[in-house]
Amino acid sequence: MDALTWTGSFGSTLIPALAIAVGFFLAGIILQLIMTTFATEVKLQSNADGTLKARSGPLGQLEKLNSQIFLLILLLLAAIIVVSWFMPYGKAGILGEISKRFLPVWTALIVTFVFSIMFKRKLGLYGKLFDSTVGMIGYALVMFWVFTAIFVGLFDMIATHDPLQQVSGLKIKEPGTAVPDGQDAEFFPHYLLGGDNLARDIFSRVVHGSIIVMIIAPLATVFAFMLGITLGLPAGYYGGKLDTILSFVANLILAFPVILLFFLLVTPELIDLGVPNYMAAVLFIFPLVFFAVLINSRYYTQPSKNTLHLALILLPLIYVYAAGISEQDTVLYFLPASFDAFTLPREILVVFVSVVFVNSPTVFRIVRGLALDIKTRDYVAAAQTRGERPWYIMLWEILPNARGPLIVDFCLRIGYTTILLGTLGFFGLGLASESPDWGSTINAGRKLLLFATHLALPPAIALLSLVLGLNLLADGLREESLKD
Amino acid sequence: MTNKTLTGAALHPAVDVYVKDANAGKLSRREFLTRTTALGVTSAAAYGLLGLEQPAAAAGHAQQGGTMRMQMEVRALKDTRATDWTQIAFVYAGWLEYLVEYNSDGSFESALLESWEVNDDATVYTLNVRQGVKWNNGDDFTADDVARVISDWCDTAAEGNSMAGRMTALVDTDTGVAAEGAINVTGPHQVTLNLPKSDITLIAGMADYPAAVYHSGFDNENPLNDMVGTGPYISESHEVGVKSVLVRNEGHEWWGYAEGRGAFLDRIEFIDYGTDPSAWVAAAAADEIDMTYETVGDFVEVFKSIGYEESAIASASTIVVRPNQAAEVDGVMPYADVRVRKAIAMAVNNEVCLELGYANQGVVARNQHVGPMHPEWADVPATAYDPEGALALLTEAGMADFEMEIVSIDDDWRKNTTDAVAAQLRDAGFNVKRTIMPGSTFWNDWTKYPFSSTNWNHRPLGTQVLGLAYRSGEAWNEFAFSNAEFDTLLDEANALADADSRRVVMEKLQAILTDEAVTIQPYWRTIYRHAKPGFVGWDMHIAYLPHIYKIAIAA
Amino acid sequence: MGLFILRRFGIMILTALCLTFIVFWLTNLYPKLEVLAKTQGNFRMSDEAVTTFLDNRGYTQALPIKYGQWLGVLPGYVIEGSDGETRARCELRGPPSDINPPLSRYCGIIQGNWGFSTVAKVEVSDVLPTRLANTGKLMFWVMLVMIPGALTIGVLAGMREGSKMDRSLSTVSIVSTATPEYVSGVILIALFATPLFGMQFFKGSAASAVDDANFNNFFLPVITIALYGMGYIARMTRASMTEVMTAQFVRTARLKGVSFRNIVMKHALRNALIAPFTVIMLQVPWLLNGVVIVETLFTYQGFGWELVRAASNNDIEMLLGISVISVFVVLMTQLISDIGYVFLNPRIRIS
Repeated sequence: MDALTWTGSFGSTLIPALAIAVGFFLAGIILQLIMTTFATEVKLQSNADGTLKARSGPLGQLEKLNSQIFLLILLLLAAIIVVSWFMPYGKAGILGEISKRFLPVWTALIVTFVFSIMFKRKLGLYGKLFDSTVGMIGYALVMFWVFTAIFVGLFDMIATHDPLQQVSGLKIKEPGTAVPDGQDAEFFPHYLLGGDNLARDIFSRVVHGSIIVMIIAPLATVFAFMLGITLGLPAGYYGGKLDTILSFVANLILAFPVILLFFLLVTPELIDLGVPNYMAAVLFIFPLVFFAVLINSRYYTQPSKNTLHLALILLPLIYVYAAGISEQDTVLYFLPASFDAFTLPREILVVFVSVVFVNSPTVFRIVRGLALDIKTRDYVAAAQTRGERPWYIMLWEILPNARGPLIVDFCLRIGYTTILLGTLGFFGLGLASESPDWGSTINAGRKLLLFATHLALPPAIALLSLVLGLNLLADGLREESLKD
Repeated sequence: MTNKTLTGAALHPAVDVYVKDANAGKLSRREFLTRTTALGVTSAAAYGLLGLEQPAAAAGHAQQGGTMRMQMEVRALKDTRATDWTQIAFVYAGWLEYLVEYNSDGSFESALLESWEVNDDATVYTLNVRQGVKWNNGDDFTADDVARVISDWCDTAAEGNSMAGRMTALVDTDTGVAAEGAINVTGPHQVTLNLPKSDITLIAGMADYPAAVYHSGFDNENPLNDMVGTGPYISESHEVGVKSVLVRNEGHEWWGYAEGRGAFLDRIEFIDYGTDPSAWVAAAAADEIDMTYETVGDFVEVFKSIGYEESAIASASTIVVRPNQAAEVDGVMPYADVRVRKAIAMAVNNEVCLELGYANQGVVARNQHVGPMHPEWADVPATAYDPEGALALLTEAGMADFEMEIVSIDDDWRKNTTDAVAAQLRDAGFNVKRTIMPGSTFWNDWTKYPFSSTNWNHRPLGTQVLGLAYRSGEAWNEFAFSNAEFDTLLDEANALADADSRRVVMEKLQAILTDEAVTIQPYWRTIYRHAKPGFVGWDMHIAYLPHIYKIAIAA
Repeated sequence: MGLFILRRFGIMILTALCLTFIVFWLTNLYPKLEVLAKTQGNFRMSDEAVTTFLDNRGYTQALPIKYGQWLGVLPGYVIEGSDGETRARCELRGPPSDINPPLSRYCGIIQGNWGFSTVAKVEVSDVLPTRLANTGKLMFWVMLVMIPGALTIGVLAGMREGSKMDRSLSTVSIVSTATPEYVSGVILIALFATPLFGMQFFKGSAASAVDDANFNNFFLPVITIALYGMGYIARMTRASMTEVMTAQFVRTARLKGVSFRNIVMKHALRNALIAPFTVIMLQVPWLLNGVVIVETLFTYQGFGWELVRAASNNDIEMLLGISVISVFVVLMTQLISDIGYVFLNPRIRIS
């Protein structure tokens, strides 16, 4: 097998076209920016037929031209992706092969977008997202990685090799290097993004890394939100001593330099003492409390329904909780192995716990602030005069009305958690050394930067695109939710 | 005709045997030089005995003056006898010197000792102290200083004193200090050592890095407090983890100047860039350093690519990735079963470990921890690489589902090598988990981990390391290997002075290590140092000894 | 106002006490002390040797007592060691001189005694000021780059909400907030400090910047931190600017025919900069994170670098010193931001 080039047979046709188009587009944007600075203000003119005419003259022409070039770029990109599907293996170059590997993701993305846009009026805030370009781009980036994680994790697609497999002879090899002879027939014949310093396939490691991020980051954020909401609502609603104490504790944690906290928490000695297990036992109980209070406050007046709902939701949760925190060889080991459906690897647990711990005070402060604000509204006063119980008001009156900012913050916080996970990996804390998570791989790759950049850049770009996507998504959501 | 020995006395009778061995190819040149010079033969004569010219020293091309900046971890200084990192010795080597110096070619050279003589059965050592040497506070350096320092070395009660282990022949096991009458000052510049039993390693021990010679007013807690020494430099500043600076001790007339020994540089800076080699490269690219302390693994190529000069020396430094036979995991002792260990050995291809773990910068080894660089090495075949057979054997032992946790320190090549082993075991179908630990924690229990990797340094004799690491009950026996036959054979080997007859025993010892699959010992490391063009005398030392006075800017 | 500041100071001290106690507890756990003993003594110490080592040096006292001693509210220990040597906490602190009279009973942080670094073998109070000064230098340049940059971007973007300019600049600031330092640092080093792309303009190591900072060795670390912080401040400025631009008084001014430039320069800008001010102050603790990463990445011996070193070697008293300082910095900036907000915004008065 020959080595692959970056662009394969596109190299002479579509890629140069794309490059030229992008160049024109950027030049156009810059020109446009310069022109707007000197242009007169936009004066809307109403035409005779009742439509509005925005801008004319050279600036207007340029705008039109620019949007056409942008469309052309999209078209070219789509062409490259589509054409490469029909090319025989190896002809489409590294980029083409990578886009082929992502075929399930593209399909899923297209299906999602088509359906979402078709039904966007019926989908509430989610649907409105598709009115905002920024939001759509963000959503596409996020869903790209979500689908990647799903297809890699559940169906074992996309990745070309095992992320831990080392193939002798491929140590720090350029992207597109062919696997040496002597492998099985079904063995993927190239390392698409090259080999790392242990001769593992970088492409496979990057896509496998998405699973770790996609599991830990959103879950940890959910836990942090449960905790922040369960404590922040009463703190804001009741105020007084409770608020003083909780706020003090939250500020205390926030005053810690995050990295110092990580260094103190994520050490082998502390893990052996079981500190993360104790913390998990405390932190993981908040979702239980949250759901218990949520249901109880709702169905308090209908005891039979209440019990049923409570049992339905809480029993599985309690089991998951018990199975989650009970681990063999740790301080908390009470569930017999046969009942323990799953075990969290220790290093995952400690990373998870630390991230939840660091994130929850901020969520607490946001929720508290929102509760403080919303409790002065009329509908809360109305509920109070109706004689509703405090927890009902908090969870069923205040919380739904605070959802806009919370959803936005949720997206941002997943991004922040991703960054935190990367930070942990960067300092070599927590996850196992071979773990393909992006932080660890960036850290491993940066050491050889002077020698080869293809080790560090792919995971760095992956992490960047996900966090960027989350930020754009949050931005789009904020914009759209403000329009309400 | 110049004298063949340092003292001018007749050649030690063992030298003849060594010459014969060396000529027959049984003794490497390095080993020959080590042994003959340890018996007081000059290194020129030792080369001559083999019919060779002594390589010319680079000193002629050196320029007087200048500054050299070396990347090196700067650690807190401690009692010299307890020095556990050669980096520490690099700092105090500015003003503290050694009695004898060990060179990379294996020869011993006189330093503060002008010469030494060893009697035929290596029980009486006559040490002739160099005359005209002065401490930098003006005191004369005399035989009393030597006697004092040697008896200090023998103090087993001193916290962390590793010199006691090198001076065992002198130590009275009951009192824990030097035996009565063992160290005698027989003249103003002569010390005679009477050993209760013969020992040919004594001179080698005196050349090791913790064997710096200090003044009687020495502060054991911190050598920096009172920098009285015989050497040409003095510490200007020492900031742990940041920088340590040695400058020429202007008022002091170093004995070496007259001898033309060197100390060319006016200023030596050791700058700490942490343990991450990428930071060293960045520093080199930013022209913040002139040379590295040691370059490892992949970074050898990186330094070459930025135009640095290379000094490489093949050594017996190595790594072992070993199961601990006595370790209990979940109530069973998985590695007590020889089939499990054998399966591990069969599943790992040592060449791949060398390639991926150490960037092919060394020689493949055979899991026997004795190699061709050792005089008594026997050519015993290694376990054949057979991943399918390995899994079959593991299944036979009933451990196919057992999860092996392999621990390593968090650094570059040790981690990578261990990762390479883990990946190969996984390829063979084993269930493997990898754990890394920060350096501060790792060494806590390094002998006790069920399955972990450890680096071992160069030792001149094969039996030395076998005795340290594989004898039953030894403190450093991280394998928990306990085999009565092995111990007996090892004792037998240690009693044989002749490499030939020892090789016969060694063959059995190596076979036991292979049959018992005690460890994976994938390769012998070549060790490297890199320097910016324009320096001389900075060659990597086979045992990392701090010969900083040799470094100079090229003329 | 005075009462408000006093109250804040009270909370600050309480926070600092709680925080240092937590650090104290986490660093004084027995396995950690064991590591300490073995790194101080030697790695092959027996368990008994470890215990005597710790006993002799007062590490095995009860936690509150040790903490009290460190704080200086309890008399320092005087222990007659099993090896015959008497060690006293207060004697260990430097030579018995006029500053430290021998066996003064109290010698904690209240008495100005920050403790002794077991790794660097020097007084914590000797090390930390140099490190802080280094970080101060770094932060000064970061601020110098970040604040004008962020404010300009924010004001330009917020001037005309929804314009092309706004959208492009907002995207730039989102990208910069989405790029953590360890990503941007790596990319910047790859681009500008390696020969791989032919743009080797800067140095990838800042160790020499400690003594002699220049454009070559200081640019990359400064820009790496500044980029990450810049986006956030720019977005805040933009939000505040757009809000001001739609405010009643601006609209009135426009209707009066005041030119756009005058509106922005004279009316909007001053009001729009109140919010970013508080954000910049609150950004300081956030920047501390970036400092740790960047100082590690570029080997710049500052406060963050010391934090990593102390934490990975369990250098107890150094870590405590670092915690005290960082808590002080975090809470101080909060205080300043609160006070500044009050002074800048005439509509808010402390009740």
